[in-house]
Parts: sequence; C-alpha cells; structure tokens
Amino acid sequence: MSRKKTEQEYRKTFAFHFFRWLNGEKDPYLGEVEMKPQEPYKETEEEVKARIREKNMISRRLYGVAKSKEMKGLERFYKAASIIFCCILIYLLLFTVSYLPPVGTADRPVNNEVPQRYIENGLQETGAVNIVSGMILDYRAFDTLGESHVLFVATVTVLILLRLDKKKKNDGEISIEEAEANDRIYEPKNDAILQMAAFVLVPIIIIFGIYVILNGHLGPGGGFSGGAIIGAGLILYLNAFGFQKTERFFTEKTYKWISFGSLSFYCIAKSYSFFTGANHLHNIIPKGTPGAILSSGLILPLNIAVGLVVACTMYAFYAMFRKGGF
Amino acid sequence: MDTLSNVKEFVYIGVLIILAVMLMLCLLRAVLGPRVADRIVAVNMMGTMVIVMIAVLAVKMNEGYLIDICLIYAMISFLAVVVITKVYMGVYRERKIHEKEERTDA
Amino acid sequence: MLEWVQFMIGTLFLLTGIIIFGIEIYGAFRFDYVLNRMHMAAFGDTFGIGVSLVGLMIISGFHFTTLKMALIIVFLWNASPVSSHLIARLEATTNEKLEEHMEVEKE
Repeated sequence: MSRKKTEQEYRKTFAFHFFRWLNGEKDPYLGEVEMKPQEPYKETEEEVKARIREKNMISRRLYGVAKSKEMKGLERFYKAASIIFCCILIYLLLFTVSYLPPVGTADRPVNNEVPQRYIENGLQETGAVNIVSGMILDYRAFDTLGESHVLFVATVTVLILLRLDKKKKNDGEISIEEAEANDRIYEPKNDAILQMAAFVLVPIIIIFGIYVILNGHLGPGGGFSGGAIIGAGLILYLNAFGFQKTERFFTEKTYKWISFGSLSFYCIAKSYSFFTGANHLHNIIPKGTPGAILSSGLILPLNIAVGLVVACTMYAFYAMFRKGGF
Repeated sequence: MDTLSNVKEFVYIGVLIILAVMLMLCLLRAVLGPRVADRIVAVNMMGTMVIVMIAVLAVKMNEGYLIDICLIYAMISFLAVVVITKVYMGVYRERKIHEKEERTDA
Repeated sequence: MLEWVQFMIGTLFLLTGIIIFGIEIYGAFRFDYVLNRMHMAAFGDTFGIGVSLVGLMIISGFHFTTLKMALIIVFLWNASPVSSHLIARLEATTNEKLEEHMEVEKE
C-alpha cells in the first residue's frame, strides 16, 4: 500500500504505535525500562591470561606440597624413624620370647589334665587316628559348627557390599555377555597355553583336594584345607576359561544349595549327637577300626560338609571381587 | 649303622643351610629389581626352593605327610602368578584407555 | 652295603640339583634385562627341582611318599613353563621402552 509518509515519519505517528500494540508485536520492556539489552560477554586478552595465571598458581600451591622442602625433610625423617621403630620392636619381641619355657616340658601351664585326657583316650573314644581332627569334630564339634556359619555370614556380607545389579533386560544372557565384554579389557582373548595347562592341571588339583578331605581323620588335613584346595582349583578354571564356561556348572543356585545343604546336614548330625548324649542313649553309628577310611563315626561326613562350604566360599569371594557377582 | 645315620644327618643339614642362604639371595633380587616382572620371578624362585627344603625335611624326619604340603605350595605359587599377571595387565589397560579418552576429550 | 650305595647315588643327584640352583641364582644377578633373567629362573625351576626330587626319591626307597614326589614333579613340569609364559607376556605388554632391549616387529 502506498504511503504518503516515509518510514521514519511513520514511526513517530500514533497509528504506528496503536497498530503495533494491537497486533502484540510490541516488546513491553523496550523503551520502558532503564536497562539496555546486553551483549554477550567477551573476554579480553589480559583477562584470559590473568585467569590462567591464577589457576596455575593455585594448583601449584595445592599439588606441589610433596616437593616443598618441609615435606622432603619429613619423608627422610619418616623413613629413618620407621626403620628404628621396627628394629626396636623386633628386639623387644625376641627378648620376650626368650623368657618362654622350652617346648614340651612338663610344668607348662598348657599341660594340665584336659589335653592329657584327649591324648590318652582320644583314639579309643573317637576312633580317629588324627587326634586333632577327633577333637575339632567330635569333642568340640559345636565350635566348628559356629566356624562354618561364620564363613557363610562372611560371604553374605561381601555379597551385600560388592554385588553389581544386573540390568533389567528381558533375557538374562545379555548381562553375561556384557560382563564378558567388560572382562575383555583384562584379556583380549583367552590364552591358549593357559587353557592347555588348565585342562591337565585342574582335575589333578580337585582330586588332590578330595583326597585331603577324605583322609582328614587318618593324617593331617581335614575339611578346611581340602576345601581351600578345591576352591583354588575352581579359581584356576575361572581364570583359564572365562565366565561363560564356568557359569555352566557353578551358578548362584549351585552355591545356595550346596551351602544350605551342608550346613543343615551338620546341624542335624550334631543335634542327633546331643540328643543321644544327653539322654544316655546308645549311639548307633559305628566307630570302626582305627586306620580304615570308613571309621570314626560321624567325622567323615562332617569333614565332607565343611570342605564343601569352604570351597564354595573361596570361589565366591574371588568371583565377587573380580566381577561383582556370580 | 651309626656312621650311616651320622653322615645322613650331616648331608641333610648341610643341604638345608645352603638352600636357606640362597633363599636370602633371592629375596635380595626381589627387593632390587626395577620392574614388576623381576619381583614376580624372584618370588617364584623362592617358592621352588622352599619346596625342595620341605621335601628334604620330610625325608629327614621320616614323616610322610609333609609331601602333601609341598604339593599345595607348588599349586598356590602357580595360582598366584596367574592371578597377579591377569590383574596387573587389566589395570594397565584400563589406565591406558582412560588416558586416551582424557586426551581426546581435552 | 646296599643302603650305602642307595644313599650315595641319591646324594649325588641331590647335590647336582643344589649346584643347579646355585647357577640359577648366579645367573639371576648377572643378566641385564628381566626377560634374560627369566631364562635362568625357568631353567632352575624345572631341571633343578626335577633332579633334586629324583635324588630324594632314590634315598627314601619304594614307598607311598615316592609316588607323591613323582606327582610333584609332574605338576611342576606342567605349571612352571606356563608361569614363565605369563610373566613374559606381562612384560611385553606393559613395557613402553621395549625397543631399547630388542627388535620389535610392528604388527
């Protein structure tokens, strides 16, 4: 449309203001407030340099503590003082040890009537050639029950603290593959030489562990050491072959059922012993001839139960610290 | 057979003393070595010498069950080397990946 | 008389084993780089302990413990070279200045 006025004159008229207000195009703050619209902040060169200089000075003061003169002197003094302290401690302890009576004399406070009874009547009453096994699994089996439960509670505690939640996916395979992918940082591909060696060595280790457990009452060994050996065999298998192959036979369900079964069996066996002992009933489990494998009453099954719990605990600790779960 | 048992005692104790001295030298190697692999190798050597010492003690005292301890010791030292190398290499690689990411970020 | 012969042969083997251990220690201090030292360590671990345990087996006669010592030898001959391989792999991947000691092929 033609205008009779120029653009600049039009902007000063009343009609321009009125129509602009009617259409809603007027900025309500423009021309009304005292502040002008701001430009974006531009740093000058000196400001940038000053800022970087200040940051460098702060970090030098903060992180350069180790290099200052006082810290170096303190480090030297600390090394000398620690060596002197260790030497004094060693001297004091050796001095105390030299006052102890020599091993095996008759007047030590340890040799009272309790070990005498164990040594003299141990073989006859328990049927075990290894008196120590007979003591921890027959005379004082209740303490060993407490120890097995302590192992179980320790595993549960570590499980609470260290376990990573599996991501909520539809099928469970993805979490195992993700865990395997995270493990690939540690080893790009599984080592073929280690696999060949583990192929030969893991059966030897596990059979040796079973041998140590079963001969607990005839020679040194027993449930605890045998269980540790089997646990070490399982750790070697996990290191050589990766997580997927181990999950084929040792999952969380396996651990749950083995621990639960072993500990319940131990409790039931001990309750039976308490019951027959308190009511002066005759124990039907035979003692057998000392020196044979199937002898000494309940000691062999209890050894097996303790060994299984210890093996599962060892493997569970290692898997939880490595991967965050079973 | 008195001379035989005397000679036997002499030989066993001599072997044990020599092995103990060599064990101390291995420890010196473990302390000195500049790299990590030096120390792992030295600890492995110490384990092997301890195995021979326990076997000599088992023959000396005529107790058969000490050989089981030898076998357990060999197994534990092997397992320790396997786990330590795996963990150390994993930590090294993770640190490298972390540094590379930081360099591409900054 | 037979006991003396048995004991002498067994002691011979045992002392050979101890001398090999001594050579291993000497080699561990003389060589320069850790991969060279590992050569001597592996040598002592398999050969030295094999000969020593054969000597002990001869001294103790034919007994159940002799079979256990044979099992130790079988176990160590299987496991010790694998340890050397793993340590060498660790050294080769974590050493950044590998070109100073040997030639490296770029793959």
